Amino acid sequence: MTEMIIDARDVGVELGGVPVLGGVDLAVEPGEVVAVVGANGAGKTTLLRCLAGLQQAAAGSVAVLGRPPVDEPGFWRDVALVGDEPAWYPGLSVAEHLELMRAVHGPGRMEVRAAVELFELGGCADRAPASLSTGQRQRLSLAMALLRPSRLLLLDEPERGLDAAFRDRLADLLAAYAADGGTVVMVTHDPRFAEGARRVALAAAA
Amino acid sequence: MSGVAQARAFVRARGRGHRTWSDRYMALMTAGLLVVLAAPMVGRAVAAVPDGVDPARAGAGLALTALLLAGALVFARVLGPVAVPPADAAWLVLSPLPRRGVLARSLLVLAAVSVGIGAVVGLALLSALGAPDALTLRLLAAVVLGASWALGGMATAVLAQGSASWDGRLVAVIAALVVVAAVAAAMAAGPGQGVLVGIGSASLAAWTAAASASAAVAAGLAGRAWTAVARIPARAVLDASTRAGLATGAVALMDPSALTWIAEDAHWRTRVLRSRAWPARLRGAAAVAWLDWRRLARRPGRLALMAAAAVLPALAAQAGGGVAGALVVLATGAAAVAAAGTAGARRDAGDAALARLLGAGPRALLAARAVLPALLGGAWLTLALAALDAAVPGGPFWPLGLLCAPALAAGALRMARRRPVEHTLPVMDTPLGPVPLGPLVWALTGADIALLGCAPALLAFAGGVTAPLLAAQAAVGMAVLAAYCAAPRR
Repeated sequence: MTEMIIDARDVGVELGGVPVLGGVDLAVEPGEVVAVVGANGAGKTTLLRCLAGLQQAAAGSVAVLGRPPVDEPGFWRDVALVGDEPAWYPGLSVAEHLELMRAVHGPGRMEVRAAVELFELGGCADRAPASLSTGQRQRLSLAMALLRPSRLLLLDEPERGLDAAFRDRLADLLAAYAADGGTVVMVTHDPRFAEGARRVALAAAA
Repeated sequence: MSGVAQARAFVRARGRGHRTWSDRYMALMTAGLLVVLAAPMVGRAVAAVPDGVDPARAGAGLALTALLLAGALVFARVLGPVAVPPADAAWLVLSPLPRRGVLARSLLVLAAVSVGIGAVVGLALLSALGAPDALTLRLLAAVVLGASWALGGMATAVLAQGSASWDGRLVAVIAALVVVAAVAAAMAAGPGQGVLVGIGSASLAAWTAAASASAAVAAGLAGRAWTAVARIPARAVLDASTRAGLATGAVALMDPSALTWIAEDAHWRTRVLRSRAWPARLRGAAAVAWLDWRRLARRPGRLALMAAAAVLPALAAQAGGGVAGALVVLATGAAAVAAAGTAGARRDAGDAALARLLGAGPRALLAARAVLPALLGGAWLTLALAALDAAVPGGPFWPLGLLCAPALAAGALRMARRRPVEHTLPVMDTPLGPVPLGPLVWALTGADIALLGCAPALLAFAGGVTAPLLAAQAAVGMAVLAAYCAAPRR
């Protein structure tokens, strides 16, 4: 029997006593690309935060990689998360952020140079992320997440700020990641990601 | 009525910001309260102006006055200085309205702030140099002198905002002020004491002439700035307005750490960085901690400034502050210098997204990140104490510097990782009046364990340096850092 990467059953979440998610079941197997789609306020990001251990479920159970998700380093060695706000360290260039990721995790899925080319960061490799556009910062965040070794990739609206051509490339990169044994769960509003995904889990409003 | 005045009147007539009599009363009361609070302080400062000239005090005071002025100009340059409220930035700057009219109100505020700062500078100058006769007239001349310098400096900063050549001149003025401070501090030590006595005992006519000349130059610069502001690029005003808006928001919400990000991002945004590979031997937490070293190495000017600031405690002691004044400057300086090496921890505390991607263990990461602030804080404190040894009796204190380093690192890391001000905490009634606990707890977070870890050093200041106290400082400092790094946390 294949080990489930994510096994969430009857998950409910409350924020300030108000239910924002209820009765969600999600089972994800290794190598899957799952797109979580739904209307604004349906609780997509809340579900993703629940899977990342950043939000406690008020009801039901969540298991990620066979254990409850917790916000601690042991968990993040296997799971890479790209949230809704790109972050960066001051005083480091774009290329150095990728170097840092490689130095910490060791050789990953690709070399730094390859990541710079794949994510079209060559023109801004020596600039500080503070000077980049929204789309360039998003590409940097995605490059950092895909550069390092991981078993599960959690993405919150990865298409944010990206141009159409790069969205296609990203869909291919995510498919390659999954083909390589990784698993992707993403919240998205872009139909092309949802179409490319092996399963689309519709989030219902609570 | 100009177009700008009409636009403002239109906005005022339709906006919610109608000023009532109660608003005016509150504004008047606030101003009155400020005067009531400031008047005794000014009175005490004027009463404390010495009759004679003490060269050591004069040199140290001159140096601190020059640094105060330089700091004000650096702050003005970083912030703008010409900025407008968000609504004006959005609608009035990018409009056909005459730009000088749009910016006139901001310029008036800048002029008023400059005169206020200048008055403090003038009083500090007189307090340093002394007044052998005609105190009132010398005070007037000193205030005019200080106000002229501050106003002239601010006018230069306004000109610099719209012109690269004026920006170069402003940087030159700031550098000259720093050089003046260094020369004054050196003269106080001995070789130029005669010159300092000469400056301090200059006649009232010389003071009046200097004040008049400075006022004339300041007026000329202000007039030039007023003319140039009509052609100031909109981009310069909008950028400054964004920075000022963020800074105002940070102050209003009492979230001072946001200010550091404004300054950091403003610094790095315009720079091309030479990307280099990470040192091959560094792995895990050490590799993450290395980013602070690299960031700091890219700011040699800041490092030089920090090193130069090591003379400030000695200057504070010589300028009349005594050992107590020197201790305050020592504590503030050591904490600030150690904190300069904790940007990575500060970033991860504000937004843990990168820390999660990096997946480094918190204890190992804290330990690795403690090395740089310990080195910075310890080295600075050693330098500052060595300078202080020459200024106050009771030393030598310098061996305490490196021994305090671990406690300084623990305090700096705790400061970097503290949460924003908790405004829901209650207000505490004290004999001095109500004190909001949230800002108090925020301000003490970090300082608490640094002070705890430096307790033996404080005892040494009070009762003299002894071998047991040195040994105790070494042990307590290490223990505080080890306990802080080992404490369970995510």
